[in-house]
Amino acid sequence: MLTTRLSRLATDVLIYGLLAATSLFMLIPFLWMLTTSLKPPDEIFGFPPILISSHSSLRAYQYIVERYGVVRSLWNTLIVSAAATTVQLVFCSLGGYGFAKYQFPGKKALFSFLLAMMVVPFAILMVPLYLIMRDLHWIDTYWPLFVPFAANSFGIFFMRQYISTISDELLDAARIDGAGEFSIYARIVFPIIVPGLTSLGLIIFMGTWNSFLWPLIVLKSPSNFTIPVTISSLTGQVGRTVWNEYMATAVISILPLLIIFLIFQRRYFEGITAGAVRG
Amino acid sequence: MAESASALRAPARPVFPAPRQGLLREIWKSRWAYLFISPFYILFAVFFLYPLLMSIYLSLTEWSGLGPIKFVGLANFQRLLDDRVFWQSMQNGVILFFMYVPLQTFLALVLAVVLNSRRVRGFQLFRTLIFMPYITNKVAAGFAFRLLLTKNNGLVNLFLGLFGIAAVPWLEDIWWARVSLCLLIIWAWLGYNMVIMLAGLQTIPSELNEAALIDGASPVQAFLHITIPLMRPVILFCVVLSTMGSFDLFAETRSLAGGTGAGPMNATLTPIVDIFNMAFGNLRLGSASAMSYVYFAVIFILTLLQVRYFGREES
Amino acid sequence: MSRKSVFTYLTVVLMLSTLILGACAQPATPAAPQIIKETVVVEKPVDKVVEKIVTATPAPKPTAAPKPKGKITVWMWKATQDSIVNPGVVKDFNAEYPDVQVEWVTYNPQDVYQKLPLALSAGTGAPDVAYVEDSHVTKYVYLGGLADLTDKVKPYLDKMNQYKWAAVMKDGKYYGMPMDSGPVVLYYRRDVFKKAELADDPDGVGKLVATWDDYLQTCKTIKQKTGLNCFSSNKANNYGRLYEMMLWQQGMGYYNDKGEVTVDSADNIATLEKLGEFWKGNLVSDEQDWTDNWYADFASLDKPVASLVEAAWMGVFLKSWIAPGTGGKWGVTLMPAMKAGQVRASNDGGSGFVIPEQSKNKDAAWAFIEFVCARERSANKFFAAGDIFPSFEPAYNDPLYIEPDTFFGGQVTRKMYTDVVPKIPKGYIYGQYYQEMNGYVSTAIQKYATGKMSAADALKEAATAIRKQTGLK
Repeated sequence: MLTTRLSRLATDVLIYGLLAATSLFMLIPFLWMLTTSLKPPDEIFGFPPILISSHSSLRAYQYIVERYGVVRSLWNTLIVSAAATTVQLVFCSLGGYGFAKYQFPGKKALFSFLLAMMVVPFAILMVPLYLIMRDLHWIDTYWPLFVPFAANSFGIFFMRQYISTISDELLDAARIDGAGEFSIYARIVFPIIVPGLTSLGLIIFMGTWNSFLWPLIVLKSPSNFTIPVTISSLTGQVGRTVWNEYMATAVISILPLLIIFLIFQRRYFEGITAGAVRG
Repeated sequence: MAESASALRAPARPVFPAPRQGLLREIWKSRWAYLFISPFYILFAVFFLYPLLMSIYLSLTEWSGLGPIKFVGLANFQRLLDDRVFWQSMQNGVILFFMYVPLQTFLALVLAVVLNSRRVRGFQLFRTLIFMPYITNKVAAGFAFRLLLTKNNGLVNLFLGLFGIAAVPWLEDIWWARVSLCLLIIWAWLGYNMVIMLAGLQTIPSELNEAALIDGASPVQAFLHITIPLMRPVILFCVVLSTMGSFDLFAETRSLAGGTGAGPMNATLTPIVDIFNMAFGNLRLGSASAMSYVYFAVIFILTLLQVRYFGREES
Repeated sequence: MSRKSVFTYLTVVLMLSTLILGACAQPATPAAPQIIKETVVVEKPVDKVVEKIVTATPAPKPTAAPKPKGKITVWMWKATQDSIVNPGVVKDFNAEYPDVQVEWVTYNPQDVYQKLPLALSAGTGAPDVAYVEDSHVTKYVYLGGLADLTDKVKPYLDKMNQYKWAAVMKDGKYYGMPMDSGPVVLYYRRDVFKKAELADDPDGVGKLVATWDDYLQTCKTIKQKTGLNCFSSNKANNYGRLYEMMLWQQGMGYYNDKGEVTVDSADNIATLEKLGEFWKGNLVSDEQDWTDNWYADFASLDKPVASLVEAAWMGVFLKSWIAPGTGGKWGVTLMPAMKAGQVRASNDGGSGFVIPEQSKNKDAAWAFIEFVCARERSANKFFAAGDIFPSFEPAYNDPLYIEPDTFFGGQVTRKMYTDVVPKIPKGYIYGQYYQEMNGYVSTAIQKYATGKMSAADALKEAATAIRKQTGLK
């Protein structure tokens, strides 16, 4: 009796220890970002490490807002992420509905194109896409940041899977009642898939917010930068490494997503696990 | 109305004796389906298919983006064979893969099993905390790690110093630079992998595990012989994703190592960074396109091999 | 309470306490490193000097030709922009050209080098004026998309430092205007030399470092007597700047007059091996350039590096934000020659302006460039403000250049720079393929420095790769 209780205790200690250690590992960079952003420069590499002191202040934040146009950058990022989310949700839900609820010639072939799309790395597309953007005179505008990716194959897979759970009888009944195909989509299907749209939307929003490579290629003027590009350009200037300012920008770039994530956790988790687990 | 509905739902069967005519009829009957998927496919054609074809063409040319395009056939590919830096970047991808994928996958699985067992309170809290790094943008994360891993008086070295360990040159040595990168990657993606594994575990009926334990198997044995085989598809999914990921690191290396992210002696140079530099730094669009195809081919083969390897072993 | 909730609470407490303890812990403190204070020394004397310039060289009389007008966009780095705006050069410009509005876009150098070629090739998005380093400008000249400035720069061809023109020239035409040069000197810490019982005045030190071999000896003495490092030369992340300076002073570089690659020539290998002797002798610090620890090496009061071979622009960096607390401790002398009697001058950096062909206001753009680069008053103003050394030689006839600098112990540093500049030989470092060449050679240097390859093998590997990439011989 005693030994089993001891061994259970030991296992519990191990388990919680592991979880605690991992959680701590995950938290420390966040914490350090935050405290560094509040420190005056001479405390950043102090020993012993300082978390908070009488010299901590929001001065770095004030500075980056005034000098580096961080607010404008956040605004750009918000617009682009919202646009990408809206456009992709519309296109993917329409397309997903088409694949889920209809049979038509060439369905298999068209669908396998999508699979092919997921396999092709961005490295192949980035140069020609850039050239296309150039010819469309879309360089340094918002357009390249959401239009080319409106056809997102993960999104269409996700929506197809989600919509296929809707019973066909429901749709047939509507047809018998004389509803047109599009109003079936708009009035019946759409309201049902809102949770799925939320999940997918969260993934798209956060993914667009955090994207770096493509905005780096297509954006020119600092006033058009999205926040990851702003952080990167801040840190290349010749001069003292102002870690408190960099970390302040980093904190600002993460905070909105963190808040959104904490509020919508469940939906977000539903979204990312859906694609992985089924088939 | 009703008949057109059922025609839409029935599989497309050609109507004898004129199959062609039947096909056209099917297409017309399915017009709504096409309408629904066409916005997607139009964009797909313009922003995916067209660039894909263009890049094949570009790989056979030499062009800086300005001025005349020079057709050179397979010269770019030939030159690529000797391009040490490119192959170094591919090798880095493989090295990084072995450095962090097994560890990360194993840890993610263990954590998922632990969280999934009903012994743990605070499941939601831990899941959230461990997942949080995934939602950060990797530019910010990379800089945070750069700060933490600064050789002189970075937090990590200060901490190690408490145990008498000398300052580690995290970002200034070939192998430590790779370790630093792996630390960043694991920090960012462990939670994501764990969550995927969790979802997979939740599809395994707990009766299976319980039955094994009742039959006298130890928890470890149950884990090895029941859980892992059943989790095979999910594990494979995570491994494949990580493979593609280890070649595709851009923001991470750039913000961790500074400059273009190549690191000391190109230790952390990834193929995408090399291709990016070739295209947008050196303005050799043809070479960059050729590189991207070779890169694609290698990744594709690696992924196929992984799927084959994992798929073949049945227990 | 159930066991599980106990454990959860304990876990959380454990995590929190680890964090708090870490913050408050007072272990046996090892020697705290020198910490750089935030105070930036504002160049107070600028105002006085600027006034002097104003009185010494009166503004030129306005000409009768119709003045350009309109808006121009200028891409520039922050430091240079400040040096032009703060002492009032833009104000002077607008006094003479009241209808031109200057719109600044502040970029960091890497951004310019990424975005400018893309803008040039895209045909849109480029500024009217871009500030580009000589190391990168030649690539853009050959890329196309830059305006031909041959006629405009003609009156200044013999007024600028001669060696600067090569970077912006193609097929006999000129596509850029030099603004500043990077004459290389040797900065040294007087207190360190004194501590090592060596001469600490510029002439004395100049003799001690007359050649690289002499410099090597001096470094050994310093190491012996004081235990301090001679200069900073990173191994694993070396970017080749010092090596390039050593090649340039010998009139050599990565290629020759015929356009052949010389990266693996016997001379290039020997030069790298000369640099290698400092690594072998453990005489140099391994800090990475432009990092906090590297800055700390200069700012340190008790454990600094003894010297630094770098261009004139380093002086103001030291003064203003790298090592402001070390005023009076520095001196400047000539850099070492490769062999006795050879050239003791080299170049590192230097920039100029270009006008993209797509600019819609080239006249105004040129007016701006000409005003900044080719007027004594402007040149001396940005020199006084930012120690950005003007390429415009007529500017050197100014009392500014014989002013003693307290940061350098009262030495007349500016005269040293003007003495060095005419001696700088033609360079074979910068050019159309500089980025590739520097990239491969840097990797070679890193491999050599960390002991992975011999100098000959490393440079040969780099040379082969360069030849394949660029198609040069």
